[in-house]
Amino acid sequence: MEDKQLDSEDVDMKDDSAPQKPIAIKKVGAGGDVEMEDGKASGNDGDDKKDEAKEDPIIVAINEIKDNFTLLERAVTLFDARFTLRVLRTISSLRRRLTPEILAKVIKETYPAEHPSVRRLEAVIKYDGAMEVESTEVTSKEGASGNVLPEVDIYIHLLAQIYLLDQKSLEEGAKFSTELVETIHLLNRRTLDSLAAKVYFYYARFHELLPSPTITSIRPQLLASLRTATLRKDIDTQATLITLLLRNYLLTSHITQADHLVSKTVFPESAANNLIARYQYYLGRIRAIQLDYTAAHNELVGAIRKAPQTAAAAGFVQAANKLNIIVELLMGDIPERSIFREPRLEKALHAYFLLVQAVRIGELDAFFDTLNTHAETFKKDGTYSLILRLRQNVIKTGIRMMSLSYSKISLRDICVRLRLDSEESAEYIVAKAIRDGVIEATLNHEKGYMQSKELLDVYATQEPQEAFHERIMFCMSLHNDSVKAMRFPMNQHRLELKNAQEARERERELAKEIQDGEIDDDDAGGEFEGL
Amino acid sequence: MADKELKTLHQALIGSVSKGDYTSASRTLSSLKLALLTRNALLPTPSTPAPILLLAREVLEIGALTSIHQTDDAAFSRYYSQLQPFYEDHRLTTASPSPHRSKIVGLHLLLLLSKNDIADFHTTLENLEADMEKDPFVRHPIMLERWLMEGSYDKVWNATKSSQMPSEEYALFSQVLVGTIRNEIATCSEKAYASLPVSNAKNLLFLDSDGAVIKFAQEKGWEVRDGRVYFPVEESEKEALASGTIIENTIGYAHELEIIV
Repeated sequence: MEDKQLDSEDVDMKDDSAPQKPIAIKKVGAGGDVEMEDGKASGNDGDDKKDEAKEDPIIVAINEIKDNFTLLERAVTLFDARFTLRVLRTISSLRRRLTPEILAKVIKETYPAEHPSVRRLEAVIKYDGAMEVESTEVTSKEGASGNVLPEVDIYIHLLAQIYLLDQKSLEEGAKFSTELVETIHLLNRRTLDSLAAKVYFYYARFHELLPSPTITSIRPQLLASLRTATLRKDIDTQATLITLLLRNYLLTSHITQADHLVSKTVFPESAANNLIARYQYYLGRIRAIQLDYTAAHNELVGAIRKAPQTAAAAGFVQAANKLNIIVELLMGDIPERSIFREPRLEKALHAYFLLVQAVRIGELDAFFDTLNTHAETFKKDGTYSLILRLRQNVIKTGIRMMSLSYSKISLRDICVRLRLDSEESAEYIVAKAIRDGVIEATLNHEKGYMQSKELLDVYATQEPQEAFHERIMFCMSLHNDSVKAMRFPMNQHRLELKNAQEARERERELAKEIQDGEIDDDDAGGEFEGL
Repeated sequence: MADKELKTLHQALIGSVSKGDYTSASRTLSSLKLALLTRNALLPTPSTPAPILLLAREVLEIGALTSIHQTDDAAFSRYYSQLQPFYEDHRLTTASPSPHRSKIVGLHLLLLLSKNDIADFHTTLENLEADMEKDPFVRHPIMLERWLMEGSYDKVWNATKSSQMPSEEYALFSQVLVGTIRNEIATCSEKAYASLPVSNAKNLLFLDSDGAVIKFAQEKGWEVRDGRVYFPVEESEKEALASGTIIENTIGYAHELEIIV
């Protein structure tokens, strides 16, 4: 429910997100879809930007963090996750302003001096500037309150985590996150869920950026946390962990393990949209590798549609589109031209555009040219091995083009056109194409030619019906999904119940009146008897 | 003491394999595996010393090859899965990469191909490092798959001749592969040709004699008449099938509409 609101906020933010663009683009280059999470909510800094300019940015930031504490407290007392989400939404705007000074001050002012977190946090932030002056005054004020809410505690840790990531202190960050994750694992508070999910996200990110063996080392912890999260019905963490694990497996190309994970876990349906989009993307990847192109296509289209439309998620949308183009080609479809014209995709998809052109014409030479010139790009995108499978599709398209243009063509000509090695191969290939339903034709072995059958009228077949069926099903599921995704005000059903109660009473009165009147009843009875 | 036992068993194993005596090799293998198990070496753990792990890896590799010779597919798959952690262990692969790895992987790919398990085939392929695809052992099944997929069955046929095989173990699969392509060609021919002379069919299907063609045709239910093979004409049952789906779809729509209204 919350994510709907979240996304609409994203859309609203479009106009004033201009100053964030450079960062978003940098992120896209850095790691494709990973950074999408950061783009989830582009902060609410639009409104208070003007006031900030006048004040000291440090104080503003500290106040903002403090305000978030109030929100977190409210989330705990009212048990409403929306407040926590609001806090998380400010992270990306805070992220750019975080300095050790701000963090140190916040820590000093929040925790009592002897709190165990203080030492741990200060160790990683490494700030020992002129703090002493204010600290005495502050500790006397806040220290009295004694205990710190776990939510606030984790929130500060999360900020520290992000700070470390931006500082590129990867190893330290990994160590810090590992400890933090262990702490979180022990806590059992529902109001902590969405914060915990974030913490896991950065935990995995740190380990992913470190050299190779570390990436596999976090799997046991992630799996253990996933078990706990599932048992506690902690949807945020559960969804995050499943996507993180899938990503982890796919990065080391352990497809079988990833597939097993998918079959053994149930992805929570009510997870945030962004997480669903990621999950679908990874699922699409797995299915594509397993040659289940139809399933892969469905997942990828879902992922592209669900992805946020902001600039921050451009990397994800690009990655998903690249994969989707290949899957469409493998299914024998040609992707729509308009995809390549979209401004935020045009550049990234250029290599794929050339590829599609080669496949569309059925030219093996052009296909291999593109493949070789852009091999690096494809390898980086992880689509290279999938593209290699396209070779047969190129041949099939070539055969189809020939079958459409000639009613009768000799096998030798086919062989020459497709640059195949021998007529024998050509014969087998054409025979296979006929069996696979690529073309409607017959072969004549003795005379060595292929005879195309007359074209059928498409509207006389079942094809239009199937196409319509597909569209109707899509509309239906869209409608059903939208109903499911809507937010319904609390206690609304009671009002309805009351209305129903009233209606029932009215009915009873009416019935009573009828009984009292007796005329209608008699009439009705009389008529009945008359019949 | 135990080390010595391992060594002697290992020597015995190599001895029987080089003689081609696979029955005694498999017996030695089971006692070797037991010995390794007691030394905690069947799974690479950081606590086990590297030399023993290397020995374990070699034993498992020999076991895999032995099971291929005994045409025991299930055993080969088991050995293959057992070998995976050894190949992924960084300590072992950097210290001394296995000389047999590509052969084992290639055989595994070939096994998947012969079982027509293409999804698993590609999953395994995705798992390989980029430079492994250039290895002749791995390249062989990859090319076979490519030819099978595009339909160049004549190339597959040539490749299954023993001279084209990268090692003797690969030749054991050629029988299965020939069977696969023959069936593929048969289904293709049913659709592609109206009829074929028996002699041409013999060449197309890579059969040895006209008699074999007639036998094969009978198995498939084709008609052989006047020295030609006639393929059955498809009956169009589509119309009858369609009404069922139309009714099903319409009821589905009505149901959904009822929910909405």
